[in-house]
Amino acid sequence: MAGKFKVAQPWLTLGARLILGGVLITAGALKVGNLQKSAMAVRAYELLPVQLANFLGYTLPWVEIGVGLLLVTGTAVKISGLIGAVTMFAFIIAISQAWARGLSIDCGCFGGGGAVDPKDTKYLSEIIRDLGLFILGIYLYFYPKGRFGLDK
Amino acid sequence: MTANNGGDKGTRNLVIIMVSFIVVVGVVFSLISSRSSTTAAIPASVSAEDGYGIVLNPTAKPTIDVYVDYQCPICKNFEILNGGYLNEVIAQNKAKVVYHPMTFIGPESILAANAAACAADENEFVGMNLAIFQNQSATENSGKWQGDAMLNIGKSIGIKSAKFEKCIKDGNYVKWTGNVAAASAKANVNGTPTIFVNGKELDRNTEYGDPVKFKAALAAGGVK
Repeated sequence: MAGKFKVAQPWLTLGARLILGGVLITAGALKVGNLQKSAMAVRAYELLPVQLANFLGYTLPWVEIGVGLLLVTGTAVKISGLIGAVTMFAFIIAISQAWARGLSIDCGCFGGGGAVDPKDTKYLSEIIRDLGLFILGIYLYFYPKGRFGLDK
Repeated sequence: MTANNGGDKGTRNLVIIMVSFIVVVGVVFSLISSRSSTTAAIPASVSAEDGYGIVLNPTAKPTIDVYVDYQCPICKNFEILNGGYLNEVIAQNKAKVVYHPMTFIGPESILAANAAACAADENEFVGMNLAIFQNQSATENSGKWQGDAMLNIGKSIGIKSAKFEKCIKDGNYVKWTGNVAAASAKANVNGTPTIFVNGKELDRNTEYGDPVKFKAALAAGGVK
């Protein structure tokens, strides 16, 4: 069993990098084209002071793209994976508190965001998705070296 | 083996530098472009104190703030349900009404907001506001408002001046829409429509979709 994992690990790392990195690049790219909406999405969580929420809305998409690029190219994977995991953890907290407080919002993860009709909220699936990505990030922190990466 | 490693390390560092560069430039660009512009042309009826909104009845009280995006379907519904009453309030000078056309749905929202501002310069804002919503596309960002669409909407309500046409074609107030967006961000408006009476936000679940409740909410805020 341990032997099988040793053989598979570099490929699992590649897979984790491509999935987490790909999702982050996509999420960031969809948001950079509409910063108004990105900031609205963060404000709608009613978690941060307005100025901080706006700052995060304007800058987070670029950070997502940057971390995603590092992961996809296999560069500085350990820290990128950690940043990815921490980001996902923060999203899970944010979505959970929105759900618990009865807010009706779109998570804004892929460019949407802001207030939505109560029947259109998808909190559970968003949390499960982010949990999966969180696990990928943690995995990459512990197993950063894999196939086709620039880290040596 | 060593030469290979050296080359790989070079590539790795290059990637780190390039990615860092992209992120830093991107962040700086985003922060700068999201700010209000001090050099933007603004319509005569607009003031910075009112969040760069288009002001009707500047000296009346109370103040009603209306945040909409012209492409937003719920905003169109709101206009159909409550626009008539709101226009009455404006005509009878019973309140100061400030419109904040937001532009987050897409580029056509900017075209529409610019056109509404151009119409405000012709004292035709109220009619143009309604006409734009009546002309809303069934789907967002469909391309319906490209080209001469806004000009034709203006013509359909009788705006024929060369000044209006130039305003539309030159996009005089496109930069101003950025100021409205920045002010809306500071005002923490996260969805449209959003209505405030004297700074107090109306309940979006009950008071926008029901004309009776909307009228009552306005009366509670001091609209006689």
